Amino acid sequence: MISTSTISLVDELRKVVGTRHVLASHAEMVVYECDGFVIEKRSPDVVVFPHTTDEVARIVRLCNQYDVPFLPRGAGTSLAGGCLPVGGGVMIVLTRMKEIHEIHLRDRYAVVGPGVVNIWLTQALKGTGYHYAPDPSSQGACTIGGNVATNSGGPHTLKYGVTVNHVLGVEAVLADGTILQTGGPAADRPGLDLTGVLVGSEGTLAIVTKVWVRLTRDAQGCRTLLAIFDSIEDATNAISEIIGACIVPAALEMMDQGIIQAVEAAFHFGFPLDAQAVLLIEVDGLEAGLDDQRDQITQLCRGRNAREIREARSASERQLLWKCRKQAFGAVGRLSPSYCTQDGVVPRTRLPHMLHRIADIGQRHDVRIVNVFHAGDGNLHPILLFDERDAGQVRRVLAASEEILDECIAVGGSVTGEHGIGVEKLGFMHKLFTEDDLAAMGRLRQAFNPTGRLSPSKMLPTAGACAIEQISPGRRAAL
Amino acid sequence: MSTSVEILPLVETVVPVDQAALAEQVRSAARRGQAIYPLGGGTSLDYGLPPRQPGIGLSLAGLNRVVDYPARDMTITVEAGITMSALAETLAAERQRLPVDAARAQEATLGGMLATDFSGPRRFGYGTLRDYVIGINAVDGQGRPFKAGGRVVKNVAGYDLCKLLVGSLGTVGVITQVTLKIRPQCTSSAWMLASLDDLAQADKLLEQLVTSRTTPVAVELLVGADWRNDGTLGRSFAAGSVRLAVGFEGTAPEIAWMIEQLTSEWQILGVTETLPFESVDAERIWNTLTEFPAKAPLALVLKASVPPSATVAMIQSIRDVDPNCTVQAHAASGVILARCAALSGEQVGRTLVRILQPAAASRGGHIVVYSPGAETGLTRQAYWGLPGSDAPLMKKVKEQFDPQGLLNAGRFVFAP
Repeated sequence: MISTSTISLVDELRKVVGTRHVLASHAEMVVYECDGFVIEKRSPDVVVFPHTTDEVARIVRLCNQYDVPFLPRGAGTSLAGGCLPVGGGVMIVLTRMKEIHEIHLRDRYAVVGPGVVNIWLTQALKGTGYHYAPDPSSQGACTIGGNVATNSGGPHTLKYGVTVNHVLGVEAVLADGTILQTGGPAADRPGLDLTGVLVGSEGTLAIVTKVWVRLTRDAQGCRTLLAIFDSIEDATNAISEIIGACIVPAALEMMDQGIIQAVEAAFHFGFPLDAQAVLLIEVDGLEAGLDDQRDQITQLCRGRNAREIREARSASERQLLWKCRKQAFGAVGRLSPSYCTQDGVVPRTRLPHMLHRIADIGQRHDVRIVNVFHAGDGNLHPILLFDERDAGQVRRVLAASEEILDECIAVGGSVTGEHGIGVEKLGFMHKLFTEDDLAAMGRLRQAFNPTGRLSPSKMLPTAGACAIEQISPGRRAAL
Repeated sequence: MSTSVEILPLVETVVPVDQAALAEQVRSAARRGQAIYPLGGGTSLDYGLPPRQPGIGLSLAGLNRVVDYPARDMTITVEAGITMSALAETLAAERQRLPVDAARAQEATLGGMLATDFSGPRRFGYGTLRDYVIGINAVDGQGRPFKAGGRVVKNVAGYDLCKLLVGSLGTVGVITQVTLKIRPQCTSSAWMLASLDDLAQADKLLEQLVTSRTTPVAVELLVGADWRNDGTLGRSFAAGSVRLAVGFEGTAPEIAWMIEQLTSEWQILGVTETLPFESVDAERIWNTLTEFPAKAPLALVLKASVPPSATVAMIQSIRDVDPNCTVQAHAASGVILARCAALSGEQVGRTLVRILQPAAASRGGHIVVYSPGAETGLTRQAYWGLPGSDAPLMKKVKEQFDPQGLLNAGRFVFAP
């Protein structure tokens, strides 16, 4: 498999970053053959770990010179195969670019390397009165560069927005090796908002090497409530009531019975195991307004038959509640050997309908499905439980997933709220967009990445998508 | 106020009734190689280099419908020609709003606001239009329709072409329909106003606001004698030409707490000439500070953007070239609007290129012409500043969507 030109490319890459920072043996590269989307696997030909922007640019130029595909990778926590090296080539892992370069409280921004783990920035800001708002559930592992690539969300997006609302600018290496800066700490740069376009482009337009992020003032206080319901309808109707009352909670999360049981087994919080649904509701802001909001929410939930409403009485209780929520996926390991998390979005008023449909789809395909999700955003994360050693189960899970996502589209939603298209959801792009829409997106890619060597066969179902089928025939057909 | 015919070299104006008809008009103009000037409410026609190439006016007046308003989903889908006041009225019926300020809202359209990326005092608390657009339909320079995003508040499927169109001055595509994320209305608002000795004191207060326990949604620094003539902002303090206005929104108890808190924070800094403004007076101040840039259409207005900590220094640089200028700065965002009556003729371009652009650049910012007033001879560099490292890429993107360069020809950063 390894050709002479690959060998000389590896040599040249070693000259750029040093021998220690290049991996080229199969055993060393196994971990890089997939991200959180494990169904499709492909090892890169080389993995390289640059430390500076200039090194990234030189690596990219070498890839062009040798005519091999290349792609960036952060911590590999993405869930849609955005880090899958389709067609092999060079994987540029950015985890060594992990400096927090600058923190400017007065100007409310920080400059960080793409390899900075999300939570490191929060930790670095502790005590300053400011924080970085996007907090995906994987924040202990995922990098800010990866957050930029996927436009990550998290539980607090309802009030604070997603990553793109907090990125002021980026430094990036283009597909031809050019280094440029878009945006920056000064607002409203004249011209096109290329920063806004790069965020969420899943590494297919450029390799981000530095990020200017907005810092957000810490809330003076918060109230964290747990509302327990005997029916899913009541819980989702309560959400609608809260929104209708002009309250925008910082977070509004929902867990169904299946996930409550798993989380309880893992963390012993004291969730009632017979509850059909719990809402985790957090409001934050000035102390002067919080008790009012809490009381209003309590009343609205009671009006929708909440069995019980608890308030986190201390910071540690609040932390435990959030731990239960953020590590819910980990707890799922107790329920089955493998699981597949979906990422559908529907208008939030359609949540009751969607949850019914998910239950129904699960039953028909004989797949157990549990739900934990960002209810305030209408962003569902049905978790389909299975055993990946059983081909029949795998097929049923894939069929059920597809049906769920089709239903999201049918009610006016989307197939991904925060995980991305990657390779996993390429097949849905035609269902969401017309040929005209996809052509416009293709034109954008053409401007940034004309040769297509940068992360091929992702995001847009172009001719490149066929390449995947050639790599693993049958496998893909099984999807 | 000048009309579209006076500002734009229009050979005719067409008013398509839907996106298909609009796309046909664009295709037809593209076949003829004719420039295309999208028209909203005509409130910002003088924004951008004066156009020279004759072309068609493409009015969005026929596309002004509310397409879908699921209030409980906190989203609305409307056609781009809807006026900002019509949009606000629709939302107000459900106690909701788009928290981005709009000047001359009776005339200004959503499409025009998006193309110019208009914002006002509330941008500090609520962000700008790019933060609210979740779906968009547009027609590119060849008449090819496209859409991006969708109707749900969280969606990462496909490239975010919404961002590409917001602030592009209509040069990438003509926006025809938009889905917005919206917010609940707030119940009360207030302003706290301080009269200050000089800009140095203003800088101190701005620095203190970074750690204030209050949560303003607007921080406006007002400099210049003109503000003394304002009915509300002017009447309170006799002397002093520097004012800091801090805007709050929230519930009544929150507002009451913030007024008291900021008063005491300011007292510690030795600022005692302060006044709160509530209810009708507060409304009047929001209005004044939103309408400022549109108020004197014939005046030259410059817009500088710097990191917020450099706001005062940048205002000083502008005052050095025009000591009598009237300044409104969204100070916590580092955005400065300066009405400069003293500059005119060739002096404008020279001052911008040789003095003000370097002054802004040295602080990591930039300065552009916001409204040229009577100036018609400005170069692209004087108007938009020097291109950055991303300029070649912007041009490549532009060429993909408008290869003939017809959309708002010669007006934006792409002008020769």
